Amino acid sequence: MNKSMLKITAFGIAVIGFYIYITIYVAGLSGTGGGETAGGVSPEAGENIFWGDGQCGTCHKIGSIGSATRGPDQEGLAMRAEERAKELGLPSGLDYLVESIVEPDKYIVKGYDKIMPKVYDPPIMLSREKILAVLAYLQTLGGEADINAIMKYKDKIPEASKKKVKPWVPPVVVDAKEGEKVFFDETRPVTCGKCHVVNGRGKKVGPELTGIGAIQTPEYFVESILKPSAKIVKGYETMYVITSDGIPYNGLIKSETEEELVLLKEESGEIEEVVIPKSDIAEMKKQEVSIMPGNIGELLSVRDFYGIVSYLQSLK
Amino acid sequence: MNNLKILLQLTKRSAFVVVLLFFLSLALPMPSSQNVIAGDVLAEEVKEGGGVELPQFEAGQSPVSPQSPEGQPAEGAEAGVAGGEEEEMAPVQYRAFFGMDSRTVVWIVSELHLMFAAFVLGVPIFAVIVEIVGFKGGDIKYDKMAKEFTKLLSAAFATTASLGGLLGFCLFGLYPEFMGHMTNVFAPTMYVYALMFFGEAFTLYAYYYSWEILKGTAARKWFHITLGVLLNLFGTGLMFLTNSWATYMMSPAGIVPATGKVLSLYHAFYNPLWMPVNIHRLIANVCFGGFVVGAYAAVKFLGAKTEEEKAHYDWMGYVGNFIGVGALIPLPFAGYWLGREVYSASPVMGNIMMGGAFSWTFIIQAILIGMLFIGANYYLWLGMGRIRGSERYTKFIKYLVFVIFMCFAVWLTPHNLPLSGEERAMIGEQYHPFSKYFGVMAAKNAVVNLIILSTFFSFLIYRRSNKGEMVPFSEQGRAGKIGIFSVLIFCLLMLVSYAISLNFVELEANIKVFVKPLIRALYIQSFAVCLAVFLTFKNRGKLAQAMLFGVTACIAVLYFWYYGFEVMQKANLVLRYLSVTQVSIVMSCLIMNAVIDIFMFRKAKLVGGIAWGKMPVRSQYALILLCVVIVILMGLMGFIRSGLRMDWHIYGVLQDTSQWAYTPTLAFMGRIVGLIVALFLGLVTFVFWLANLGEKKEKGVLKEGCELAEPHPEH
Repeated sequence: MNKSMLKITAFGIAVIGFYIYITIYVAGLSGTGGGETAGGVSPEAGENIFWGDGQCGTCHKIGSIGSATRGPDQEGLAMRAEERAKELGLPSGLDYLVESIVEPDKYIVKGYDKIMPKVYDPPIMLSREKILAVLAYLQTLGGEADINAIMKYKDKIPEASKKKVKPWVPPVVVDAKEGEKVFFDETRPVTCGKCHVVNGRGKKVGPELTGIGAIQTPEYFVESILKPSAKIVKGYETMYVITSDGIPYNGLIKSETEEELVLLKEESGEIEEVVIPKSDIAEMKKQEVSIMPGNIGELLSVRDFYGIVSYLQSLK
Repeated sequence: MNNLKILLQLTKRSAFVVVLLFFLSLALPMPSSQNVIAGDVLAEEVKEGGGVELPQFEAGQSPVSPQSPEGQPAEGAEAGVAGGEEEEMAPVQYRAFFGMDSRTVVWIVSELHLMFAAFVLGVPIFAVIVEIVGFKGGDIKYDKMAKEFTKLLSAAFATTASLGGLLGFCLFGLYPEFMGHMTNVFAPTMYVYALMFFGEAFTLYAYYYSWEILKGTAARKWFHITLGVLLNLFGTGLMFLTNSWATYMMSPAGIVPATGKVLSLYHAFYNPLWMPVNIHRLIANVCFGGFVVGAYAAVKFLGAKTEEEKAHYDWMGYVGNFIGVGALIPLPFAGYWLGREVYSASPVMGNIMMGGAFSWTFIIQAILIGMLFIGANYYLWLGMGRIRGSERYTKFIKYLVFVIFMCFAVWLTPHNLPLSGEERAMIGEQYHPFSKYFGVMAAKNAVVNLIILSTFFSFLIYRRSNKGEMVPFSEQGRAGKIGIFSVLIFCLLMLVSYAISLNFVELEANIKVFVKPLIRALYIQSFAVCLAVFLTFKNRGKLAQAMLFGVTACIAVLYFWYYGFEVMQKANLVLRYLSVTQVSIVMSCLIMNAVIDIFMFRKAKLVGGIAWGKMPVRSQYALILLCVVIVILMGLMGFIRSGLRMDWHIYGVLQDTSQWAYTPTLAFMGRIVGLIVALFLGLVTFVFWLANLGEKKEKGVLKEGCELAEPHPEH
């Protein structure tokens, strides 16, 4: 091979190398992990599943990776799992992790709600092997993975059904695209997009709904629209604040510093910001009632209502 | 290093398999008559006893699989056959490729096949165009170049066919259930495919081997060109056929989803994504062919020993780049149409693409397309250095660099950059208050159009670098006037018909008001195009071009950037009409300004000639960069198109229940695509080397003959 051909080859390899570097960099930036896709039960495979098929990243972040706040931050989870196991009288932290996945409603972290789905059921349908891989990854968050120990729990994890999922059918014929239109239509008395973000569109007052269809069922959406206070996502509880002058406020905390509290409150269908100096606050407590209007069911036609449900379900 | 690991792993396993097969072939007894009789007896027993009936499936009916989700036969499925009991053959869903990840194997083989196919389809288009240009212009060097590439084509054709065969075996072997479904739906078209393949092979070899025979008269040459056109028709037909299979997997139609029963082959074939993919691939193949030709010329240029060779390959590189960039300009528009149709076919798939798991791949795509535009512009600017008279225009380059890099920066800005808790607390909201406006579609559309306009401007100044005093347009005869007037009619039809159609879009009244500015913009552009023609006819062609550039930039870039935000916030549905309006306006500017430029400078005096071959070495590396990047881009887009189906073989119809039914991470995708690109470029180099072996030999013999002849000058 002559000299010019060698230089050309080196140049070509450098360009390909640059591309690979970019993909690894972007993978890290996007929170999808920079590792290779690994099969079997390994922390690497588990990490990919955590941020990919498992959709865990929709609700959990890990330290500075990801931005979801629906579920607890999983940084240092393995250590916390050991502590929780001791408190609950379980043999080990791994038992706590396994049970939290198999029966998500069994142990609820204080301050969070029963919103975690069973990942082996539709729509996520993780296989047993994938769940074991996720467990291996979770063990590395503040600890070390012990694959042999994990494999002993194999039979405790239900196998996902691979039968075709019977799709949810709304009682009237609706179109998810129409539902999207209604979701963002600001000309209506109630607009979901005023408080919820989907794929970067809308305003972030309430929880972001990007990818929500992958983790929640249509029944959950129906309940959340008709009875918004039934389950309030962590971090979106309404706060009741009374100032020293006796003025009451109900709203969501947008930000809080040592000096002041910024509250988002609803006023005639519009969201307003109120800045209250901390020194003026006489009393502050969480409410059991969501800031989301409770009469949305009355403001939507049946077709629009199910259109929205269909749209949310399509957000996978 | 990871690619190397994967390659080593593949090599090791392949070597192991070869060795294993060798020993097995030694260990296994040769077929003997005894075995044949035993088999016959078993068959007779089955017949006599009524025996086991093989499972029968009606066409379109999916067999019930007794397999576990991991694709392995379930325990119960392996009914014991010990003691001569009959075994019921369970239908196989998946097989592994010697213990390797079947999906990655199919991914690598299919992408390599597609890349070669793109070359084999793109280069003939290139070759025939060049041949026609050479024939009409009477320039023999065009003809020689067209022939040179057809020679490479015949070598690459065999590789493409071999890879196609390998892909077919992999698919039928590793994914039998899926291929059973595909065969069930598309069987008739598969025979057509085979017939068309014969057609392509015959016309290719006829086109290449008749090159010298069909020289001499115009009739012969036209017959030869017709062969080339036929070759392209067969090639394009083949591509359209296979596209229907690939797009059916994304947007299945014409079947009963639950049973797979075929209701209409026509609808399965002409599924919603078929035509957008056809158009996108057709343009992309021309672009791909152009840049590969450019890189071939660059390699030859860098290894050239004589000035004559350098001049030839410099010119070849220029032509390759010209065709590559020419096809690159409309490519984003075709891509946008495809993306829009993906949304229309399946909003879920659309969301996965732009807002879900795949949205980050478009950041990588933006980097690659940015590299293509910057590389192509850089090559043009360097090329101006070999043209006497170009000094008058080099002052524009710094502004173009600034504009293109700023556009690139906007294009790269991701909208959904996740922030850490601390960052969010500092900023006070989910997204960056400033940069988020550069990440949305309105901004990206605006800068893409500005990059295209800037690249077109680069090309115009390159084109007129050595042109001096012009002949006034009014004195140029009828051809120019008819040409420009025809283009005016075309542009007006495009702009006005779309403006009229916008009046009839079905939208709610409160949303429809947002369409009105688009209609106004189309009419303003129509007026600007008419004005440009009027000014050209009045011998003010340069002013006409500047005016048209200005109006287009103001509407399609500045106004629509601002208005895009407005529409996104208040009437998102209008965004699709806005994008088409934007494309129409920019296209009308490009077409009209190009035609004005051609006729305006048609008889212009030359300031100086083009010193072909006087190009810096770095310009050739720009050509190589363009080639490597377009190959990478093809690999990336292939991953996106195929990956959007997530865990479905056929979206919504046939689920992928194999253990590989997950979306790979971006990092893994990067490594695999990198490996594919390296393999492709390596194979192409090898194929080109093989194709040139005969030529070297020929030259060697000729040279030897000459040397022998030298002592006898009288001969």
